[in-house]
Amino acid sequence: MNPKHFATLVALAVPLTVPLFSGPATADETCLSPYMAKIVGQEDFAYIWTLGRKGIGDEQDKLVTVDVNPGSPQFGKVVHSVSVGGRNEAHHSDFTDDRHYLWAATLDTSKIFVFDVHSDPGHPKLTKTIDDFVKKTGGVVGPHSTYALPGRMLITGLSNNRDHGGRTALVEYTNDGRYVATHWVPTDDDLRGAVKGGKYADGYSYDVRALPRVNALVSSSFTGWNNYMMDLGKLMADGEAMKRFGNTVVVWDLHTLKPKKVLDVPGAPLEVRCAWGANHDYCFTTTALTSKIWLIRRTPDGDWQAKDVADIGDASKVPLPVDISITADDTRLWVNTWNDGTARLFDITNPDAPKQIYSEKIGAQTNMLAQSWDGKRMYVASSLLSNWDKKDAGGGGDLEYFKGYTWDGTALKPTFSIDFLAEKLGLPHQIRLGARALYAGTAPEAAVATAP
Amino acid sequence: MFRRGWRAAAVAVLVFAMLRDGAAHEAAAPGYGPLPYAAPEPGSYALPLLGPAADGPVLTDGGAATRLHAAFGDRLVVLSFIYTHCEDANGCPLANHVLREAARRVAADPALAGAVRFVSLSFDPGRDTPAVLAPFAESLRPPGTEWTFYTGLDATTLAPLLAAYGQHLSTLSDGSIAHALRVYLVDRERRIRNIYSAAYLHADTLLADLRTLLTDAPEDSAPTGPGPALGAGDDKHGYAGPDYRTHSQAIASRRGAALDLLARLQVPQLGLPPLRAPLPGAAQIALGRRLFYDRRLSLNDTLSCAMCHVPEQGFTSNETSTPVGIEGRNVRRNAPTILNVGLLDRLFHDARERSLDQQIWGPLLATNEMGNPAIGVVLDKLSALPDYTAEFEAAFPGRGLGVETLGAALAAYERTLVAGGSAFDRWHYAHDAQAMSEAAQRGFALFTGKAGCAGCHTIGADSALFSDQALHNTGLGYARAMAEAPAEREVLLAPGTRLAVEAHTPPPDGNDLGRYEITQDPADRWRYRTPPLRNVALTAPYMHDGSLPDLDAVIAYYDAGGVPNEGLDARIRPLGLTAGERADLRAFLESLTGGDVEALVRDAFAAPIGDR
Repeated sequence: MNPKHFATLVALAVPLTVPLFSGPATADETCLSPYMAKIVGQEDFAYIWTLGRKGIGDEQDKLVTVDVNPGSPQFGKVVHSVSVGGRNEAHHSDFTDDRHYLWAATLDTSKIFVFDVHSDPGHPKLTKTIDDFVKKTGGVVGPHSTYALPGRMLITGLSNNRDHGGRTALVEYTNDGRYVATHWVPTDDDLRGAVKGGKYADGYSYDVRALPRVNALVSSSFTGWNNYMMDLGKLMADGEAMKRFGNTVVVWDLHTLKPKKVLDVPGAPLEVRCAWGANHDYCFTTTALTSKIWLIRRTPDGDWQAKDVADIGDASKVPLPVDISITADDTRLWVNTWNDGTARLFDITNPDAPKQIYSEKIGAQTNMLAQSWDGKRMYVASSLLSNWDKKDAGGGGDLEYFKGYTWDGTALKPTFSIDFLAEKLGLPHQIRLGARALYAGTAPEAAVATAP
Repeated sequence: MFRRGWRAAAVAVLVFAMLRDGAAHEAAAPGYGPLPYAAPEPGSYALPLLGPAADGPVLTDGGAATRLHAAFGDRLVVLSFIYTHCEDANGCPLANHVLREAARRVAADPALAGAVRFVSLSFDPGRDTPAVLAPFAESLRPPGTEWTFYTGLDATTLAPLLAAYGQHLSTLSDGSIAHALRVYLVDRERRIRNIYSAAYLHADTLLADLRTLLTDAPEDSAPTGPGPALGAGDDKHGYAGPDYRTHSQAIASRRGAALDLLARLQVPQLGLPPLRAPLPGAAQIALGRRLFYDRRLSLNDTLSCAMCHVPEQGFTSNETSTPVGIEGRNVRRNAPTILNVGLLDRLFHDARERSLDQQIWGPLLATNEMGNPAIGVVLDKLSALPDYTAEFEAAFPGRGLGVETLGAALAAYERTLVAGGSAFDRWHYAHDAQAMSEAAQRGFALFTGKAGCAGCHTIGADSALFSDQALHNTGLGYARAMAEAPAEREVLLAPGTRLAVEAHTPPPDGNDLGRYEITQDPADRWRYRTPPLRNVALTAPYMHDGSLPDLDAVIAYYDAGGVPNEGLDARIRPLGLTAGERADLRAFLESLTGGDVEALVRDAFAAPIGDR
């Protein structure tokens, strides 16, 4: 490849094109927004949004950068860490559509930490802290997914400042951190134009993904502050609290951000991943408590339906499916089950009948995963919530970790593992990937020179 | 080596959908084809304000100096950022294609023609001189359309304008410019109303948005009226059954109206003893009310008093057995209701505090509740917030903000939360024979007779708190500390879906030993203060640990005689109640709800919530 070709590719990369009309060759680099440039080759860095824990290092939340380029002498090592102050229940993070900034949200204090990841991708810099999210949004608590829409961020809330329960909203901010609007999730007395498709309209939310080709946005539902901050053992013993989990998926009009339909998906549907194929008008979610894969599908007449299509592990043992990741060609879905620390691969070629075809024990617990564009590399982090995480690994390590794997189509093979407790870092949660080449036109020579 | 690294990385950076059959292909952006869904109905949705559209100096394609806002005129504006030699089909040419199509349709629509202007600004002033730009504009602009082209004076003066519109540029080695395509919709007040990227830009939606801006933007829908004031807005009654249906209330329906709390307090309430503390001042009450709902009173701004004493949930929490403290820390005991708390002499489940004015410092400073490390930290924080210093001075002239006045202000508000005048009060004290149902009247007879409840939940000649404020061992605390923990526990995973799961280890907080933890007297093990029963129908779940979900469970517990242990109160014994008697007792307990609790809750809804 000559330098001119390189330049052209980068130029193509930055003004985003769309997969929507272009056949099956689409993929999710760790399930990012379709409005964002993707890394389709070797990523250089993993950004791990990490919870502080009392007794571990400086005890505060931090963004940890790990070098994940196998050609680098620093491969598999922590190369940077930014402490942000406080234990805020760090949870999810994601990029703006220009991929210049990483928005790292927190569920307890509702702060959002914005990191510049483009000026020096190996050394993210905290450039802004949104600390008045609750006030600005009219009482939304617990910003969760920070999802790129054109020129703005869509943020799902988990709770509210009236009762710390699960009724909440989706919130828009501009890319430069200004509050735009609050869109409350439909409730029975205010469906906001949506159709209640079943028995439930709980007003909860959790994750969100867009399906632009059908002008749809799909949001899931988890639980409010009272529950996600509560000790897990205490929660399981609290009969009232256990009634406060989400049982709905809401389909929204993507352009107008108005809710269209509330679907029954009982048992706390968490991550949402939409298929990429031109005719694949569906998304998947998994229910944490009832251990099922759900298909959220647009019917030919434009309606939306939810259907449970597979069990995940032995539901009687509450494996607790957490993060999921769909592969490039819509044929595979990785499902991590937190309670048994297992990564499971489902064949979703027939989306109505997913079949588990592979599993691998990752650690004492396992949660977030990120796979490369080509599916050949996978990264896994352990932590779920600070007060839900296991306190011991049953005699071994592997309790709080960030691990790398290769995937050859038949087996996961470990490439590195970082013990986040031994390294005095904390509890690793969300993983996002970075590459210097994303910013090739502006990358400082020094930063590029650190590459092999 | 260095170069190779660059090339390897470069291959990596592709827009998705471009890699097919091992080669790179670019997909056409949706703006080039028909919109695959129906564009939204103009005027059926709102376009929120996305901030001001920046202004700056520019040159017309005739070479005249002007400013971008002057180019906007009094029109709705579609603004694109381009450069003339851009070759990426999904970059500037896409914007040009869509604007050209939209400009044609605007010109042909009488409602839009004359109301909309298309503006394209080159961010490459070095090469896009007016002389270059003018023929370029001419080649693109359809006849009869308002589409004007501008360029920057120079890169330096253009830079702030580009930054304000989020245009990050980088010039590549071949001279091409990498940028994120952005097209902006700007209203007449020069505010950005939508932002379009390559994946989003389409003439159909652009036209719908323009027509929407010409209509009066609809207000977002809102509930038709205020929702109910009593009970959790996220109602879960019947959740255990498969036929459960939600009856959820919007947060916005939690609407109220302020009361004159002092005037209300000055009117004696039927069945309640008089307030023994001096009558608080109106300014003190208002200040305490503001403090009660201020989440900034906790160390990390997440917990106010009202987050555990939720007004519509009986000023307790119906949604958890025991509250969740700062950073999710465990609180061992159920949040008691604040209703009528100003009438009590002994506070907390273990009666460790005597004064409401002092009591508040308990939760404020508890490491597992609001988490403040010192009194001074709280006072310093409040004094740094707007208004509080002046409000304290007004409420407590000459004293201002201090450790005593903070407690006094909160106590002033809490003392207004009196709630008597229940059906029972009207029946018993006002002798209104119709005020209470016959079942409740039978329940009263049981309460004061066979069941013996009134032995501790006392009823006076002129008033009743339904509590002797003494400490008793009912066996519940004993059982929690001494009984074998079950290996399995049945949990509700979803409506109607139960599962027996392995019981998790409880939080490592030690056992709850009740009053003993205050006195260290073994005789006080597992003794707790008798809870007042007024408004008890609103305050589920029950008991000091919130372990009994409803009144039926409480009645069943006492009917069974509690849990035997050496300290068990002698009055706790098997009662031998029939099903009908248990139902009558419940009916009686349900008759104890204050006559105007709802007004107190609506007043609380009207209180501002303090957030950072």
